[in-house]
Amino acid sequence: MKKNKLTLGILLCGIAVLSSCDSHSDECHECHIAFDTPNGEIEVPINNAAGGEEFCGAELEEAEGSDFSYLLTEDYIAGADTVPAGTYTEIHCEAHAH
Amino acid sequence: MKKEIILSFVMMMTFSINAQIRGVVIDKDSIPVVDVEILIPDYDIKFYTNYLGEFSVEIGIDNRSHLYFYKDGYESKISQYKEDTELVIILDDLHVDIDEISVTASYNILGNSKVTNIQNLSIKDVFLNSNSMIESITELSGVDIISSGIGIQKVVVRGLSGMRVVTYLNGMQINNQQWANDHGIGFTDLGLDKVELIKGSSALRYGSESIGGLLYFKDHPFIKLEGAKGYLASKFNSSSYFSSNQFGLKWNKNNLFFNMHGQYSISSDYRLPNNKYLFNSRFKQNSIKFSVAHKKNNLQNIFRYQLHNESPGIPGHVHGDPSTIELTQLLSSDIDFNEDFKITRPNQFVTNQLFIYESNYFLDNSIISLYLGHFRNNLQEYEKWTAPAFNLTLSNTLINPNIKYSYNNSTIELGSQFSILNNVNNINERLVPNASSINIGPYGIFNYEKDNLGVNLGIRYDYKNLKSRDNTVNNNKIFDIDYSESFNAFSISSGVFCEFKDHIIRISYSGASRTPHFSELFSNGVHHGTNRYEIGNEDLLIENANQIDLKYQWSNEHLGVVINPFIQHITNFISISPTDSFSSVYRIYNYMQYELVQIKGIEMNIHYHPHLLHNLHIEQSYSFLNTRNKDDLYGLALTPANSVKTKLVLDLNQYQKLTKFKINNLSVYHIHKFQQNSFAQYEEFTASYDVINLQLGGKFNNQFEYAFLINNVFNKEYTPHISRLRGVAGGVPNPGRSFSINLKYNF
Repeated sequence: MKKNKLTLGILLCGIAVLSSCDSHSDECHECHIAFDTPNGEIEVPINNAAGGEEFCGAELEEAEGSDFSYLLTEDYIAGADTVPAGTYTEIHCEAHAH
Repeated sequence: MKKEIILSFVMMMTFSINAQIRGVVIDKDSIPVVDVEILIPDYDIKFYTNYLGEFSVEIGIDNRSHLYFYKDGYESKISQYKEDTELVIILDDLHVDIDEISVTASYNILGNSKVTNIQNLSIKDVFLNSNSMIESITELSGVDIISSGIGIQKVVVRGLSGMRVVTYLNGMQINNQQWANDHGIGFTDLGLDKVELIKGSSALRYGSESIGGLLYFKDHPFIKLEGAKGYLASKFNSSSYFSSNQFGLKWNKNNLFFNMHGQYSISSDYRLPNNKYLFNSRFKQNSIKFSVAHKKNNLQNIFRYQLHNESPGIPGHVHGDPSTIELTQLLSSDIDFNEDFKITRPNQFVTNQLFIYESNYFLDNSIISLYLGHFRNNLQEYEKWTAPAFNLTLSNTLINPNIKYSYNNSTIELGSQFSILNNVNNINERLVPNASSINIGPYGIFNYEKDNLGVNLGIRYDYKNLKSRDNTVNNNKIFDIDYSESFNAFSISSGVFCEFKDHIIRISYSGASRTPHFSELFSNGVHHGTNRYEIGNEDLLIENANQIDLKYQWSNEHLGVVINPFIQHITNFISISPTDSFSSVYRIYNYMQYELVQIKGIEMNIHYHPHLLHNLHIEQSYSFLNTRNKDDLYGLALTPANSVKTKLVLDLNQYQKLTKFKINNLSVYHIHKFQQNSFAQYEEFTASYDVINLQLGGKFNNQFEYAFLINNVFNKEYTPHISRLRGVAGGVPNPGRSFSINLKYNF
């Protein structure tokens, strides 16, 4: 009887393992212009259409698309480096260390 | 007359079904040895001695079959089964366990370990005794690891890896885009019993392409027990808050056998010695597998299935030159338990499925086998959240008929491998094109062994047709490929061993060839896993390898020594080389060939067992490797530094004061890596380092085992020369000090 219960437990574990597959994320994410300098990459945060920081759903897909461009209206200063105002196509939305 | 024929047939069937294997296992003082594992290798069925050292199972096997007896602390033995005979097996105490040229009896799937360089490692308890299966394998001399934490790990054999080290799982070749260092081995230790390793190009039966080596992983055998048996196991590691849980179940009734195993693992980012965390070194894995065997008379059928999912993060990802960025940009100052177990970008989603059907028909002196295997790998690599950088499905089908004939002291194997490989891109974005290949490889292997002399000779011919037609246009990049090429190659493997008193010497020669892989021929795109833009070369030729391997072994009751020099020449060595050009922010790397690469080295093993302290085992291995690229001032990429590995194991069972506290063994593992000053153009010098790991193990009772591990005891900051992240930010260190608690409950 005890063994039967254990066997049942094992089978339930199996079902749990099978059903624990990770689904691809559909959350919202912040995006930035990736500006390459001799000192490394500068990340310039960008805003979504509503002025918010996060891009979701179709807007995230659009921001990550190859046709997307972002107009930086003012120079962005990062330490000793400056990212000049202009239109940028190198947009990244992956997360970084915190 | 008709009645008599039917009656004798029924009697024959009855005898065959009810034939008993019975006997007793005792030690040299005639004391019964309990719980001895008894394996019938040809049938992959195992059973145990009872509390009186007796065994008796009803299973019909033929007279030629061997029985393999094994118990920890005793010298293992192989005995031939004889019908109607009660076997009496005497197992001697084992002091020096140096199974290099099979001083102790061992069985190998890959062939005769006396004439071929086969190393055999039990991994059935690796979940309990080690952080990871691959780390456990690297305790063998000449074996190293390319890794970034536990999430992505690959084996390196004598300085070669990737396409040159072929992996088999239960007889099926694992093709999972293994050309890239960020594509891991594709399965875990779940349900595995042992791994056999061939160093160099001697793995004739399993393909000519394994010029660096071959790893053959094998599942737990089926158990003859007329009932069910199982285990639950769990482990936790403090470095990355890694936790893993496994279960297993084995069942048998009459001639039907069933094994099933499952696993779920999750890990956050690993902690460096400076207490920062390497961002995105996290991963998740889950896996389930089962196998069914049925044996009736002379026929045995086995079916196996395995599903493995994993989603490793790709740490150390940068845009631009990875060597110029600051390490701090890749590290997190702490772990956010709500966020840092979640999969982020860039990462991979890997789904592997394995189907195997084996059929073995046993005759008096021969086994006729048919092996059918199908492996399907889906790899999606994401940098963006919404679309993968590539999404590849690689399927591999293998058909392998084989006949093994034994007569007196000789064995002949004849067979052929037919394999069909198909690589399909599921989206327009791609790094490698759609491609397919057909390979036909007939082979013949002859073994002779009598008394103190053994000979091996094998030959194999391979025909491979590789095709790729791909004219996909994406992001203004055109794959304009129309390629069809046939390759022909011969491989040879030979060896001789002789034994004189306590001395054993073996020399072997092998020659093998590797056809260029479609990734080496046609790559064209950004590979986020390596921070490179990679371009293939359609003009690549076959790689040819020739190796001579000499092994000398001497042992007595307390000391064993193995000395193993080797030399390998590889012509038309395929490599990847950086250019001065960039595509966007990624440096362009081109595939190319070196005319001649020479790899030579020496491996040594010592096993010492002091007479005054029989329960102490000291094992030490030395691996010295020298690679020379005759076309380049620089050395070969990813050449591991020389190393000395030492392991002390103290069996505490005789100390009642300690066993009272459920402590049964203590081990210390030390690795010294020498500096590496032989490196490729895009690599750099790596300093020497020492790492020490400790382990305490025991049993709460006969069913419940535990192990407590401290890895990197002195919190040493080091980056191995062949780390995936050696070239990023001057080298991202391996994990710092960590604690593990591993538990296993058997029922």
